[in-house]
Amino acid sequence: MIVVGVDGGSRAVKVVLLDADSNLVLAAGERDQSVDHEGVARVLLNELLEKRNLTQDAVKRVVATGYARNLIRFASSTVTEITCHAHGVRRQHPDARTVVEVGGQDSKLLRLNEDGSVRDFQMNDRCAAGTGRFLEMVSVRLEMPLTEIGKLASRANTRSAISSMCVVFAESEIIGLLAGGVPREEIAAGVQQAVATRVAALAGRSATPPVYFTGGVARVSGMDRALADAFGQPVQVARDPHLTGALGAALIAARQARNGG
Amino acid sequence: MTTRLTPLTLAQWDARYEELKRGGLSEPSYGGRLSRHLEDGDLRLPKLRYDPSVAALRLWNFLLSEEDRLAQARASGRKIVGAMKDLGTVPVMAYSLPNVTAFYPDGAWWIPCVMELSAGVFRAADACGLDESFCPVRAMLGAFVTQAHFPIPDLLTCSVGATCDDFSAIAQRLNGLGYPILWWEIPHRRAPDPGEKSVVLPGGFVASTAQVAFVRSELERVRRALEELAGVPLDDARLADGIRMANEARRRLAELRRCVYHSDPCPLPALEMLVAEMLIIHFCSDRGETLSVYADLLAEVEARRKAGVGLAEGAVRVFWVNPVADLQVMNLLEDCGGRLCGTEYLFCHAVDEIPEDVEPLDALARAALADPMVGSSADRAQRICRDAEAGRAEAVIVSRIPGASHCAYEGYAIREAVARQLGLPVIELEVPPVSDSMRPALRTRIEALMETARNRRAQ
Repeated sequence: MIVVGVDGGSRAVKVVLLDADSNLVLAAGERDQSVDHEGVARVLLNELLEKRNLTQDAVKRVVATGYARNLIRFASSTVTEITCHAHGVRRQHPDARTVVEVGGQDSKLLRLNEDGSVRDFQMNDRCAAGTGRFLEMVSVRLEMPLTEIGKLASRANTRSAISSMCVVFAESEIIGLLAGGVPREEIAAGVQQAVATRVAALAGRSATPPVYFTGGVARVSGMDRALADAFGQPVQVARDPHLTGALGAALIAARQARNGG
Repeated sequence: MTTRLTPLTLAQWDARYEELKRGGLSEPSYGGRLSRHLEDGDLRLPKLRYDPSVAALRLWNFLLSEEDRLAQARASGRKIVGAMKDLGTVPVMAYSLPNVTAFYPDGAWWIPCVMELSAGVFRAADACGLDESFCPVRAMLGAFVTQAHFPIPDLLTCSVGATCDDFSAIAQRLNGLGYPILWWEIPHRRAPDPGEKSVVLPGGFVASTAQVAFVRSELERVRRALEELAGVPLDDARLADGIRMANEARRRLAELRRCVYHSDPCPLPALEMLVAEMLIIHFCSDRGETLSVYADLLAEVEARRKAGVGLAEGAVRVFWVNPVADLQVMNLLEDCGGRLCGTEYLFCHAVDEIPEDVEPLDALARAALADPMVGSSADRAQRICRDAEAGRAEAVIVSRIPGASHCAYEGYAIREAVARQLGLPVIELEVPPVSDSMRPALRTRIEALMETARNRRAQ
C-alpha cells in the first residue's frame, strides 16, 4: 500500500513516497515552488512514481502539509507542518526533544514529549529575520549562491552586528556595511548569527536536548553552528532535513490508511 | 443526540431575515437587516459568519447602531460622557444619573476592522503624529478629528497612571488638540506590605486599603464633575442604584458565559460571545437595552442547551486571552476545530460584581483596582490560569494587538504560567485590524494548536 506526503513549502515542494506496510521510504524529491503549487506537486509526484514503476492508482492516500497544503487538491487530508515535522523527526531521531525548523518564510520551535508527540510549539510571526527569506536576500546582496554563504562565513574572524528586527531594515544595514568596506565574510557570519538569535529567542529560557534542526535552511552550512552558539548547546542537523515535513506527512498518511482512512 | 449549529453568511442572514419578517418578527427600533450596515461602510460584515438566532441579530444591530444612539442622545439634550481608558467604572457612575449617556471612545479601535480601513481614522491619527507604531486605539484620535463616528462628548474622562503608555500618549495628543480631559489617576496595584491593612477586590486580587482610599478620592473628583455636568447630585443612593443595575448586567453576562463556556456542544459562537462581552464595559450607550440583549441571548442559549443544539461536538476547548483587532479571527477559531471555554479580554473585572455591602464610591474604587491591567503580569497570569482550569481548557491562545505596548511582555508571562502550572499548549497570535493577508499563517498556528491539543486528549 503506497501513501504520499507532500510538503508545499514557500520555497520548494517536497514529496515522499512511503510503503505504508513497512513504513519504508520508496522515493523522495523536491522541486522549486511556483505560483501553481498543485501543478508542481503533481509533476514531482508523477516523477517519483515513474521512478518506482508505479502509477497513481497505487497511491492509497495523500497527506499535504506546509503553507500551501490547502492548495494541494489531490490530497486526501491536510495536517500542519508542526505535527508533520514532529512525526518526521521522531522517525529518524527517536531521542529528539526539541526541533528547530527554519523554512523559507517562517521558523518554528517544537518541544516534544518523550513519546515524540508535540508538547508545545512557537512560531515567529513578526518578521522574516529568522527565516530562509532573510538568507536569500543576503545572498542576492552579497552576489553569491545561498549554499555558499556558510563557507564564506566560516572564513570570518569576526561577525558584523545586524541589529534590525525587520528584513527590509536589515538589508539597509547590509548595504551600509558593504558601503563601509566591511568584508563579506563578516557580514555573512553576522547574518547567520542574526537568524540564529531570532530562532533561539523562540525557545525562551530553555530548549530540552537533544535539539534537531530541520527545514531547508538546515542545509546551509554553518547555520547549525550559529544555532548551537545561540542555544548554548549542541544542535544536530536532522537526516535529510528538507524532507522531514513530507516524511511526517507520509507517516501520518500511512497511519490514516491503516485505520481505514 | 445533538443538532449542529451552522453560522450564516451575511447574504444568508438577509434571506433568513425576510423569512422571519414574513413570520411576524418583532424587533427593537434599531432592528433591520444586518446588511443595511454595509451602506454605512461596515465593509467587513460580508466576510464574517454569524449566529443564526434572532437574539444574535439583535446583538449585532445593537452594536452597529451605537453611533445613531449617540446622535439621538445629543439631539434629545442628554449629556454625553466619553469615558476613556476605563473598563467599567466611570460609566457605572454616569448611568446613575438620569440625563447622562456614557460611551467608550476607545471602542473606535474596531472601526478600522469593521470598515476595512476605509474610514480614514488611521490616516487622521497619522497626520497627528501617531503612526502604526502605536496601538490601533489611535483610531479613536482619528475619530475625534474626523468627527464622523460619535458626537464630541460634553465631558471626557481618562484614567492615567498604571495604564497603557500608548493610550496615555494618544489621550495627551487629543488633549493637545483642544479637547479638555478630566484625568483621574489609577496607581499600580501593589501587593500590600506586611502588616498593612488590605482588602480582597472583586475577582480575588488584593490591594492595600490606602490604595483603595486613593482611588476613591480620585473618583470623588469624577463624581463632582458628573454632578456639575448633569446639574443634579450624584448622591450615594443614586450611585447604589447605578451599581445595582450594573451588577444586574454583570450577573446576566456571567450567566451567559457560564452557560456557553461550560456546555458541550458550545451553544453560541465565539464571535457573538466576544461582542456580548464587550457590551459590559460601557453598555453600548444604553444600559437598559444591554440588559434586554443579554436576556434574549440567555433565553436562546438555554433553549439550545435543552434541545442539544450547538457547534461541532468535541471541538477543542480554548481559553482566549485579549480581544482581537480583527473580528474574523473568532470565526477562524471554529473553522480550525476549536471553541471558547473561557476568556480574559482585559476587562474581567467588569464581569465581576461590584460590592454592594460597602459605601458605593469605595466599592467602585475596589472595582477599578481589580482591573487586570493595573496589576502585575504575574497577577493577571494567575487569574488566567485559574479561569482556564475552571473552564477545563485544553489550549490557550494569547492574541496580541500590534503596537499595543501593554501586551508586549504579558504574552510571555502568561505563556510561561500556563505551560508551567497547567501544562497546556499555548500560542501567541498577532492580529492586525485587517488580517486577510495573514490568514494562512494564523490558520496554521491555530490548526497546529488544535492538533496538539487533540493529540494530548487521545493520550
